[in-house]
Amino acid sequence: MGEKRKDTHWADRPAGKLLLGSLLPGAALFSWWLAIRTGTAVVPRFGEVVSVLFHPFVVPQDIYSRSLAFSLLMTLIRLSLGFGLAVLTAVPLGFWAAQNKIIDRILYPLVQLARPINPVALLPVATVLFGLSSLATMLVGGLEAWRYDVLDQVQLAMIFILWWGAFFPIFLSTIHGVRSVRAAYLETMTLFGATPLQSARRVVLPHALPSIANGMRIALGVSWLVLIAAEIFPGTRSGLGYMLCTACKTSDYQYTFAAMLVIGVTGLLIDWLLLRLERRVGHWQAAER
Amino acid sequence: MRPMTDSKSQIDYQPHTTGNAAFSFRSVSKSYASRDGAPVLALDEVSFETPNGGITCIVGPTGSGKSTILRILSGIEQPDSGTVQIGGRPPRELIGRIGYLTQRHTLFPWMKVGENIGMPLELQGTAPDRRHERVRGICTMLGLAGAENRYPYEISGGMQQRAALGRLLASESPVWLMDEPFNALDERTRHRMQELLIGLVREQGLSILFVTHTIDEAVFLADRVIVLTAGPARVAETFDWSVAHPRDRLSREFGETIEQVRRRVESVLKEDDNRYR
Repeated sequence: MGEKRKDTHWADRPAGKLLLGSLLPGAALFSWWLAIRTGTAVVPRFGEVVSVLFHPFVVPQDIYSRSLAFSLLMTLIRLSLGFGLAVLTAVPLGFWAAQNKIIDRILYPLVQLARPINPVALLPVATVLFGLSSLATMLVGGLEAWRYDVLDQVQLAMIFILWWGAFFPIFLSTIHGVRSVRAAYLETMTLFGATPLQSARRVVLPHALPSIANGMRIALGVSWLVLIAAEIFPGTRSGLGYMLCTACKTSDYQYTFAAMLVIGVTGLLIDWLLLRLERRVGHWQAAER
Repeated sequence: MRPMTDSKSQIDYQPHTTGNAAFSFRSVSKSYASRDGAPVLALDEVSFETPNGGITCIVGPTGSGKSTILRILSGIEQPDSGTVQIGGRPPRELIGRIGYLTQRHTLFPWMKVGENIGMPLELQGTAPDRRHERVRGICTMLGLAGAENRYPYEISGGMQQRAALGRLLASESPVWLMDEPFNALDERTRHRMQELLIGLVREQGLSILFVTHTIDEAVFLADRVIVLTAGPARVAETFDWSVAHPRDRLSREFGETIEQVRRRVESVLKEDDNRYR
């Protein structure tokens, strides 16, 4: 007698996923086309947007902005620096706070007070604190800074608020990850004669990594939102958010739409990469339950 | 005075130990704080000794503090009073030389089986090639040849326990503490693991303290059996059982001995119940 083959649900098959996934974007495209046809909304033509996307290195003529490619680059540089700084500070501090009661008690009130403050709302404060100084200002001083184009575009105030947005999720999920290590694993290591450092490296860190990776993914989502919003704020001269807003002001909506699409797709890609990281470091977790 | 023996099945109800005992407990007591704060006595002046080499089984009802005894012997916990020694020295001095295995194997799930087995060697600073060689040897000996590069959750329960045993072997500990390690396995696998264990004990000259609540298992494995009462735990009886290995599970003699031991254990525990309740 033959076995009944277990069929995959059609929504789980690649074709099914593609079909369902393109329904809403398809509807959006359709509304766009409709708006163009009927002239009811001020939207750029399809062709114009596609042209911007396919010529990313062209500097826009009518608006005071850098090319799409450069804007993307600047946005990504700022993200890497702010987010990277957050990871480098939050993970070690999280480890420390999870294992040291005193540090935990000291940090706890500050963390809980600071966390809910929207980083974008913090930008004016940050600008007062840091002024318009950038990396270039830090390295070569205010007068020569303008020569170092890319470095001069990375404002310290913006790095600060990016750090603020990303720090707390990563910090808290690190603490959670470290605290959730099963005592049995640590005891086993001790019984085999491990030093605290060996235990930390071979047990605590791998056990906490899935939680940390998850915190990083959440933090990245926050950072992405904060960054784009911050680039709209006066004081910036480049970036995807900047391009989006400037183009709006001069009614060159093809750049706005193009920037929006790039923002969406890039955000999706980065999140997907971190999701893969999360799955990789957490492959063993399902089995633990 | 001649020791009281049951000559039919060679059970010696008044065993004695020559030389340094492998594991030794003298008047050890241990309490725990219960939820409402009142201390609960888990071990009540427990004393026993185990011979060097071979397996000693601790048998008792659930909740009789058997796990506590092992935890104190391993050095994870400290007794409230009494002396604890392993080979004449306190457990503290033997960190890394005492093997410990529980029902839940605690293999690290994020590491491959080979890495798990090699962990004690890694902690001692053994070079990677030497380590891999040793791990391969252990895997072959335990029938885990294909599993080195798998993760613990990808192999069966029996293989996981074998891998945990492999890890103990890698640590080269001469004394092992085992807390009902084969409980979660099906009967056939359990029997195979018991036979494997006996083989290892004879090959490597190990001294094992094995906790179980299964009389059959105790009779098959042990050279000495210690019967523990329910909490607060006391040693109700100790006896030696000197039948040579390999022991035949299917023989009538074996069945009769199990019956005998079981009846004895029952009566001793009942006596204890009546005396103290």
